[in-house]
Amino acid sequence: MDPIYPWLDPVEVKRLAESLLKPLRQPNLKVADAGFDEGFVGYATGSSPQAKAPVVVSSLEIPELVMPSVAHDLNSDPFAVTDMSPPAPPVLESAPAPVVERVVAPPIEENKIVIRVPFQESVIRFRDWMRENFAATGIFILDREGEVLFEDGHQGRLHFLARSLAIAPRSPSVGSSNVHVKIGAGSMLEIIPVDSPHGRMVLGAVVPEALVPSSVGVVMDALSQIASLQSSS
Amino acid sequence: MISIAVSSQKGGVGKTTVSINLAHSFARAGVKTLLVDADPQGSVGLSLTRQSRLLAGFYDYLADPGIPLERLIVPTRLETFSLVASGQASDYETGGGGMGAHLSRVRSFLRSVAAKGFDLCLFDTAAGLFGVTGDVIASSDAIMIPQQAEPLGIRSVPKLLEGLSRLRVMNPQLTVLGVCLTMVQNDLAESMEASAALRQLLPPEMVFKTQIPRDGLFVRASARGLPIGVLEDGAGAQVVFDSLRMEIEAKFEPRSGNQSAQG
Repeated sequence: MDPIYPWLDPVEVKRLAESLLKPLRQPNLKVADAGFDEGFVGYATGSSPQAKAPVVVSSLEIPELVMPSVAHDLNSDPFAVTDMSPPAPPVLESAPAPVVERVVAPPIEENKIVIRVPFQESVIRFRDWMRENFAATGIFILDREGEVLFEDGHQGRLHFLARSLAIAPRSPSVGSSNVHVKIGAGSMLEIIPVDSPHGRMVLGAVVPEALVPSSVGVVMDALSQIASLQSSS
Repeated sequence: MISIAVSSQKGGVGKTTVSINLAHSFARAGVKTLLVDADPQGSVGLSLTRQSRLLAGFYDYLADPGIPLERLIVPTRLETFSLVASGQASDYETGGGGMGAHLSRVRSFLRSVAAKGFDLCLFDTAAGLFGVTGDVIASSDAIMIPQQAEPLGIRSVPKLLEGLSRLRVMNPQLTVLGVCLTMVQNDLAESMEASAALRQLLPPEMVFKTQIPRDGLFVRASARGLPIGVLEDGAGAQVVFDSLRMEIEAKFEPRSGNQSAQG
């Protein structure tokens, strides 16, 4: 009887091992720091002609859509401000754009912004709940491409770290896939991948101490519900 | 300078034995080597210096930015071989085991070591791939993983690989030198089976051809506070570590000239 192989998955082990021998691909960012700061303009998105256009750069012109009170923030962090932008007029609610569409949408794609309004409201409630229950001081949500769906504050420097850790290979046998990293005295970055009908989202939250597994489960459920509700609306 | 972390997910796999004797092999070959005891248990210090409980060391450096590297370096009779003990501060005193908490201090340490003219900094780390050990790995050029040739050790390989994948995200430059089988017992079927299974499981370039046998010489060397090659009958065992050293050198050769201290 083979004493080893019943205990592990040789194919998965070999895949992991081979990945470790290859040079690690890194995002081709032009900014010196891999944090998504002002120089970073987002990942390329899907295959539609609109998406292939220089969407991200033009998104910097979104101020027309933003209330004056938050226009200043838009200049310093386009991701955060787009998320904080007020609901657009509800004239295109029937548009079929997915809920977790890219945040940095060009002005012509008002329909996507409109459709995201309920998501935005739900996430803000989620953020408040996180603050209250886990003393989270910074919360952001990325989609599987690394684009910002929501951001509370300016956590751009943590986005790359969060996404990288969230997508690092892990065995399917590992129950919870959350990761936490100490980022300062008394502050941890908790990273929780959450599967949704739109693909995997990555929740990042700066918390005073790492969440216990039961709390991670509750957070995952809560965020997953928000995304699921949105997809069915 | 090149920095290598000798680390493993499991404890008791022979990290300290490999670290001491591999570092000694490099030093004998003329490589100016600093062996750093990054294990709070202080195994290197306890093995090689009777004063280890009095020496300031690596953890003191992490805890106190005012301590210069010069105060930590312990020379040996071999001019090219120096040590840094674990020290008196513990993991607790440095603020616990949060990943990333000591990254900047570890990198500062490595810059100081490079500035001192060392060619190789070899870390003997504590078991596990988190806390200070994680920060050491996330700051080093390469990692080698001793792995005991026994079934339980092999079963832990998936966890080890997952841990390394996460650390490579923190340190994309990290070279995984490979797994080195230790405590191999040729007269024990389970040990040989485990050894064969690991070689079948992993890509050939991830398992060192050299394997370390279980040998009473290691216990004797440790009892006398010496690397095994210094024992009067240790020449045979020294050949094993010289072979391991040459394998490591060969892995670095294709990219020699590109090495620099972390910064």
